[in-house]
Amino acid sequence: MSKKQSPENTQHTEHGTTASYIVGFVLSLIFTAIPYYMVVNKTVTGRALVATLLGFAIWQMLIQIFFFLHLGRGPKPFYNVVFFVSTVGIIVMVTVGSIFIINHLQANMAPMDTTKKLAQDEGISQVSGKQTGACNDIGENHKIIIKDGMATPAHTQAKLCDSMTFINEDSKVRDMAFGSHPNHEIYGGESEETARKGYPKTITLNQAGTYQYHDHLDPAVHGFFSVEP
Amino acid sequence: MAETTEAVATHEQAGALTPEHEMSHEEAANDRVMFGFWVYLMTDLLMFSVLFAVYAVLHANTVGGPGGGQLFSLKQALIETLILLTSSFTCGLGMIAARKGDKTQVLAWFGVTFLLGLAFLGLEVKEFAEFVHEGHTLSSNAFLSSFFSLVGTHGLHITSGLLWMGVILAFVIKRGLNKHMVRKLALLSLFWHFLDIVWIFIFTIVYLMAFTA
Repeated sequence: MSKKQSPENTQHTEHGTTASYIVGFVLSLIFTAIPYYMVVNKTVTGRALVATLLGFAIWQMLIQIFFFLHLGRGPKPFYNVVFFVSTVGIIVMVTVGSIFIINHLQANMAPMDTTKKLAQDEGISQVSGKQTGACNDIGENHKIIIKDGMATPAHTQAKLCDSMTFINEDSKVRDMAFGSHPNHEIYGGESEETARKGYPKTITLNQAGTYQYHDHLDPAVHGFFSVEP
Repeated sequence: MAETTEAVATHEQAGALTPEHEMSHEEAANDRVMFGFWVYLMTDLLMFSVLFAVYAVLHANTVGGPGGGQLFSLKQALIETLILLTSSFTCGLGMIAARKGDKTQVLAWFGVTFLLGLAFLGLEVKEFAEFVHEGHTLSSNAFLSSFFSLVGTHGLHITSGLLWMGVILAFVIKRGLNKHMVRKLALLSLFWHFLDIVWIFIFTIVYLMAFTA
C-alpha cells in the first residue's frame, strides 16, 4: 500500500478521476429523473411533494459538490469547506428569514378590503381564476339625488357592474354608509363614502344582492338598492 | 539563536504530514487563487439565494395573469437541465485532460462543453422570447419580475462563462497548454460546476414546483 502515498495518487483523490466524474454524472441524472417523474406522475402532491423535491435538490447539490467540485477531498482545501459551510449558514438565514418575514408582511399588509379596493381601482376582474368583484366594463349609471334630507329614488334597481352615484344637493356633508343604521356593512370593499355638495361619489355595483344605505350622520336619509347578478 | 532555528525546523516537520504534502511556492500561489475564487463563488451564491427568496415570496402574485404552471414547459426545463448536467460532466473530463497535459482532449472536451452551454443559452433565450412575445414581460407582475431576474441572472452567468471559455480556448490553441492555462481552466470549471448547482435549484424551485399545485 506504499503506492497510495505517491504524489500522483494524492493528486488524483484531490481532483477526481474519470470514474468519479462518471459516477457523479450518473447519480445526478438519476436525481434529476426521479423528481421529474414525481411531478409528472403526481405520485405525491402538495407540501409532501415540495419537501421531497427540495430534498432531491439538496442531494443533487451534495453529489455535485463531492464528485465535481471535490470539496473536502485531498489534504489541502479544508478552509474551502469551512467557508462553504459558513456561506450555507448565511444563505439559510437570509432565505428562510426573508421568506418568513416577507410572507408575514404580505399577509398582514393586504387585508381583503385593500386587495379589493386595489383590484377595483386597477380594474382587475379576477386573480388566479377567482373573481375579485372588480368589473372590466361598467354598465349603466344610476343616480341617487339627496335633496332636503331625502334620497330619491328610494329603491334603485341595477345590474351587476352598473355604477351608482350619490349626488348631494344639500349643503350638509353626507357620510353615506351601507347597511341599516347603526349597523354598517361593507359593500364592494367600501364602508363609507363622503358626498359633499358639488362632489358626487360613484361606486361600482360589484356585489349582487339587496343592500341598504344611509347617511351615517343623518339616518333619515336612506334607501336601498338591488343588484341582479 | 541556533537553538531557535532548530526548534522552528522540528516544529515545521512535525506540522507537515509527509514531505510530499509540503507546498511549493507555485502550489501555494495556486491555492491562494483558488481560495480567492471560491470566496467570489460563495458571495455569488449569496446573491442567488436572495433572488431565490424573492421568487419564493412573490411567485404567487400573478395579478390575474398566468402562473408558472400555465407558462412553463416542463419538458424544455428537463432538456435544459440535462444539457447543463452533461456540460458539467464534459467540463470535468476536460479538466482531467488538462492536468494530464493533453491539449487535443482539452480542446475537444471544453469544445463540447462550450457547445452545450450555447445550446442551453439558446433554449433559455427562446423561452424568454416566447414569453415576451405572448405579452408576459418583466413588468407584467411580481411573479414574472422575480422569474426573469432569477433565471436571467443565471443566464448572464452562463453567457460570461461562455465568453471566458472562448477566450481561454483561444489562448490554448495559440499558446499551448501551460500551467497558467491549467490554472485558468481549473477556475473556469469551478465556475461551471457552480452554475450547474445553481441551475439544479432553479429547475427544482422554479420549474418543478410550478407543477406541484
